[in-house]
Amino acid sequence: MSKKGMNRRQFVKAGLMTAAAAALGPAVLKPTSLWAAESKVKGPIKLGYQTVLSGTLAGYGEFHKMGAIMAMEEINTAGGIAGNKLEIEFRDSTLKAPDAIQNARYFVDSWGADFLAGIDSSGQALALAPVMAELDRVLMVTHAATEKLTEEQVFKNGVKQIFRIVTPTYQDGNAAAFVAKDLPVKTWATINPKYEYGFTCWNMFKETLSALKKDVTFTAESWAPFGTTDFRSHINTIMDAKPEGLYSVEWAGELITMVKQGIQAGLFNQVKHVMFPVGAAMDVLEGLGAEMPDNIWISGRYYFLYPNDKSNNDWVERFHKRWQHYPAYVSEGAYSTMYAFKKAVEAAGSKETKAVVGALEGMTLDSPAGKRVFRKEDHQAMYDVPWGLTVSNPKYPFKIMGKQVMVPAKDCFARPPFEGPGTKPPFKA
Amino acid sequence: MLQSIVHVCLAGLSQGMFIWLVASGLTLIFGVLGVLNFAHGSFYMLGAYFCFMVLRALGENFWWGLLLGPVCVAAVGYLVERFFLRRVYGLELPYQLLLTFAFVLLFDDLVKIFWGAASIGTPPAPGLADSIMILGRRFPSYNLFVIAVGPLLALGLWGLLEKTWAGRIIRASSSDREMASALGVKVPTLFTAVFVFGTWLGALGGGLAVPYLGLLTPGMGEQIIIEAFVVAVIGGLGSLKGAFLGALVIGLLSAFGTRFLPTFDMFLTFILMAGVLLWRPQGFFGEAR
Repeated sequence: MSKKGMNRRQFVKAGLMTAAAAALGPAVLKPTSLWAAESKVKGPIKLGYQTVLSGTLAGYGEFHKMGAIMAMEEINTAGGIAGNKLEIEFRDSTLKAPDAIQNARYFVDSWGADFLAGIDSSGQALALAPVMAELDRVLMVTHAATEKLTEEQVFKNGVKQIFRIVTPTYQDGNAAAFVAKDLPVKTWATINPKYEYGFTCWNMFKETLSALKKDVTFTAESWAPFGTTDFRSHINTIMDAKPEGLYSVEWAGELITMVKQGIQAGLFNQVKHVMFPVGAAMDVLEGLGAEMPDNIWISGRYYFLYPNDKSNNDWVERFHKRWQHYPAYVSEGAYSTMYAFKKAVEAAGSKETKAVVGALEGMTLDSPAGKRVFRKEDHQAMYDVPWGLTVSNPKYPFKIMGKQVMVPAKDCFARPPFEGPGTKPPFKA
Repeated sequence: MLQSIVHVCLAGLSQGMFIWLVASGLTLIFGVLGVLNFAHGSFYMLGAYFCFMVLRALGENFWWGLLLGPVCVAAVGYLVERFFLRRVYGLELPYQLLLTFAFVLLFDDLVKIFWGAASIGTPPAPGLADSIMILGRRFPSYNLFVIAVGPLLALGLWGLLEKTWAGRIIRASSSDREMASALGVKVPTLFTAVFVFGTWLGALGGGLAVPYLGLLTPGMGEQIIIEAFVVAVIGGLGSLKGAFLGALVIGLLSAFGTRFLPTFDMFLTFILMAGVLLWRPQGFFGEAR
């Protein structure tokens, strides 16, 4: 009861401050924007980063932080962003939408953030979109994967402040379907998360695979609520349906638990073709170690051994030296985010939202994951991540990708305007 | 079909036994001390982490971890009761809730500081790492062990409370604290003992979960404590018999729901709880207050 009162007071305070900021904002900011082209960027550059730092998924947040901090250290040692120091403040996103909004408002209204980044949950990303338009700061999404964010919020509703540096559900649904079409599998089933992300991916996988291959059927679905620790009933459902292929975007600890319980139940002896679109995440590879079965198809938003070139291999080595971990995909996303902002601010000669949005649109970024291009229409970064089959390697205490298949982003990412013929894969050459 | 039903039953039973282990400590502490201990889920988590720590130290042997880990957590429970909880017995319920909730946050962060935020994969239990064939499908032998441990523990608790001198004192104090005290029972010592024992039960649940889940994560107590609360409410807060039955019902309901009514599986548990609260607010075996 007293809690409610406190919230209301905070709410009123936040509301007043926002109103004041909105009233003062244009008047205060105008002169800077006029002179932005000639005047140098005034620092420091402040970036508010929110990710999950509590609960069972807190490990993900730590991996975000490692990437972001490492980039900040490197950038500041090398002279900062346009001569200004980069400062990052981290806050716990808790995966709940109201907390994400509160954090964003705190960052911008109280702390004075120039840029925002982070966000793990699709629900949070969608809830933040209108808030970012109002706060008018660029938000670089480094994990949340729903395609609705870029297709609907950025492209359709024109929320220009949002960009996404990592692959969205296209990689999990569409790219998986391209890999699946070449497998000797006619019946597919799924154990998937019982929320937005799980539903979207399974639908995308079904639609794209049906378009690519005529004689496939989808025989069983078992939906596991967030926080499932016992997958045995779900595994029973799949084993009763006897599919030839299993598709699952379970992730993090839940994927680890599901695989371990699947091994105990003999799931992987019965179902020979298994696809885990986010199975190449470092926490899963490390968490399962040698227990991960061989010949499972895995992918992610970045895979630490791809591309196998000097730039990426050097980065992985530096990262391992700094943190005694191999980089998770969220680490790479957070790391590259800092360099994306550096490049955009320096190109625009300004840290102002409008100028930075203009610089980011269509910008090419050389990053550990390879060359990224921020698509102008929907602000989605285009880059390629491989799919591969798990195999042991004496160099690592966990399974890595053996045989790899590449489905390029240009073939599996939906294309603007996202509606009507020719916007969804497969595309005609 | 028979194969499927039997396996769903087995999955439900093992799920139920974990909830029972956690709910038993929760409901015992409530029955005797009258404290609704939010931190009980944290003791479950600590049980798992301490078990892991001991098994690492003693040659990757899970059984040492299960034996010693929960005892370490019981010692933590002693400190919590002796130096913190004891000070709020006389105060209103919200103070107790706040204090135990503070421990939830504290333990979550301590686990992150000591063991890191990333999840940790754990080894299977020596001797029970295999699966056995039941009607042509594999079922982990470790889960059969858990299904056996649950009722044994229930039997042990029943014997302790009904057949021993200590049990009689506990029952006497829980039904009338002041009268017991007037008759010479050292109530504060008894409370500490019961809290430590309840903590050990929760930690034992956590220890047993280590090979079952195959990984440890900070915050792993959050999910189970909700289920344990539901079970304790359905069974009647303070009633061990009720908690046992409630855990069985919830475990089986959720397993059958997942398999045969997948759209409503999350719903079923809470429908049951709402129903019980409406028509029998004291729970299956609770006494009307």
